[in-house]
Amino acid sequence: MSAIPLVSISRLTKHFGGLTAVQDLTFDLHPGEILALIGPNGAGKTTTFNLVAGVFAPGEGSIALGGERIDGLPVHAIAARGLMRTFQHNMPFAGMSLTDNILVGCHTRCSDSLFDILIGRRRVRRRETAARLRAAELIKFVGLQDRIDDDVSALSFGEGRLLELARALAGEPRVILLDEPAAGLTQPEMTRLGAIIRDIAARGVAVLLIEHDMHFLLPLAHRVVVLNFGRKIAEGTPEAIVRDRQVIEAYLGEAVGDLAMRPASA
Amino acid sequence: MRLLRDALIWFAAIAAASALAFWLGGYATDVYRKMLIWVALALSYNFLFGIAGQVAFSHFAFAGVGAYAIVIFAHQLGLPFGLAFILALALSAALAFVVALPSTRLEGFYLALATLAFSQLVLVVISEGGDLTGGTGGIANYRLPHVFDVTISGPWYTVVLVLLVASTLWMLRRLDRSAFGRACRAIRDNAVAAAAMGIDVRRIKVLAFTLTSTLAGLAGIAYAYIDNVINPPVFGLENIFLLLFMIIVGGAGSHIGAIIGAVFLYLAPFVLEPIVGHGFMVVFGVLVVLTILFQPSGLAGLVNRWPARRAT
Ligand SMILES: Nc1ncnc2c1ncn2[C@@H]1O[C@H](COP(=O)(O)OP(=O)(O)O)[C@@H](O)[C@H]1O
Ligand SMILES: [Mg+2]
Repeated sequence: MSAIPLVSISRLTKHFGGLTAVQDLTFDLHPGEILALIGPNGAGKTTTFNLVAGVFAPGEGSIALGGERIDGLPVHAIAARGLMRTFQHNMPFAGMSLTDNILVGCHTRCSDSLFDILIGRRRVRRRETAARLRAAELIKFVGLQDRIDDDVSALSFGEGRLLELARALAGEPRVILLDEPAAGLTQPEMTRLGAIIRDIAARGVAVLLIEHDMHFLLPLAHRVVVLNFGRKIAEGTPEAIVRDRQVIEAYLGEAVGDLAMRPASA
Repeated sequence: MRLLRDALIWFAAIAAASALAFWLGGYATDVYRKMLIWVALALSYNFLFGIAGQVAFSHFAFAGVGAYAIVIFAHQLGLPFGLAFILALALSAALAFVVALPSTRLEGFYLALATLAFSQLVLVVISEGGDLTGGTGGIANYRLPHVFDVTISGPWYTVVLVLLVASTLWMLRRLDRSAFGRACRAIRDNAVAAAAMGIDVRRIKVLAFTLTSTLAGLAGIAYAYIDNVINPPVFGLENIFLLLFMIIVGGAGSHIGAIIGAVFLYLAPFVLEPIVGHGFMVVFGVLVVLTILFQPSGLAGLVNRWPARRAT
């Protein structure tokens, strides 16, 4: 883990009318790190993702990616700088094949001019071949190779989550934001997802994920940030977080509070 | 090997479609030529509507811009044909770009409304353009001038139309199979997710609209020399809905579907009219509804279901 943060979020605030969804939020994310964002429903986790990804411009505060301010940039420009995301609700490109869905994730790596495409420039063909190889690799990586010829709309919810993940990885991101990636997954799928996320981080990608399942999260996350009513109420290692009085009161509850004492299952 | 096979298929198809031009009689030639224009328009409209997902109703307006521009530049103003051709194409492209900038901010219903309004505007301009556009009667009595001392006429002009269709298809297929085509389809399916994948949604939308509308302008230019007559009703709203029907019945998003749909719905009235008179539009309407309900992938979807195609 490097000492220089890849993503720096500083004093971020977002209002929706009278509602303050995120307030004065500050944290860093390092290359290769798995950072979990947890908190009750409506705490502002997804809103934080949307701020970082550029869906909303923050009311106050700043976001830097690799030292460069990205707050205020359009979504596609932030993605092009190496920040990819998945959505809380599956958002496949329903009219496209599985492979094409993932190739869309490569977009920033092969966006050539129409003229170059039409004259069939070698660079265009080379990138296309590389993208296809990568897509095939990613499909295997997330374990969807048996579904390659199926309609994307025929995928199960869990398979859809894996497709989103593969699509986001296709752009070779430096940072990946995963919004509740394990929600709705079967136990074997969850185990696989955990391994995938560890693998991604091991390659130096910074992973920021929102997750409710503490059994899944605790053995996975390097660090946890806890939100409540838009504010950060705690930050630290998973072990420290589950013992934090404030976190237990606001989110985990007493019954879950002894999670860390139990053997990890994921 | 595949490259060679593809080249052979293209060559054979173009040769066959061209040979037909020398074999057909006068009336059949007229039908055939107009069918080719419909196919060219259907191909570009399919890219705009079926692939890029833009519900725009300005396609015939841009064909009208191309047709009127070439006739006005080359014959009313007497510019050299080559220059007139370039200007007519450039005007189509420029106008398409200008219309695309604001209208691609709109979606669905509102894009449809804005482009319908533009179509009406074009119709008013060409109907009220005085001597320059010939008013409601249009312009007639001009002919394709010599280009480099060559006169293209008779079946050879039909060959030009075949080449127009072939190059339109070749271009659009190539773009469709590139990152650009995938970006277009991704935006159609889910613009929010597309943006998150790094796609500049506005840029791609403007490009797709401008490109396909310019191709409509090109088809309009070619149309102007079929009868050597142009008049406003051709570029009116009835035809844009027919074009939409062709795409839906053929299979939105599929090039082959656009061709099948255009040929099928263009030729169907010749069979239907003696039976149901002008009621064929009603038949088309029913056909469209049935397609949407029971066969969303259109006629192209039926073709793809053939076992032989599955195996390859
Ligand atoms: N686009 C929006 N417009 C208005 N309010 C929103 C919007 N997005 C989220 N909110 C509100 O902001 C708060 C935080 O929501 P969210 O970030 O989705 O929470 P979480 O993901 O932690 O469950 C909620 O009260 C939610 O209703
Ligand atoms: Mg959420």
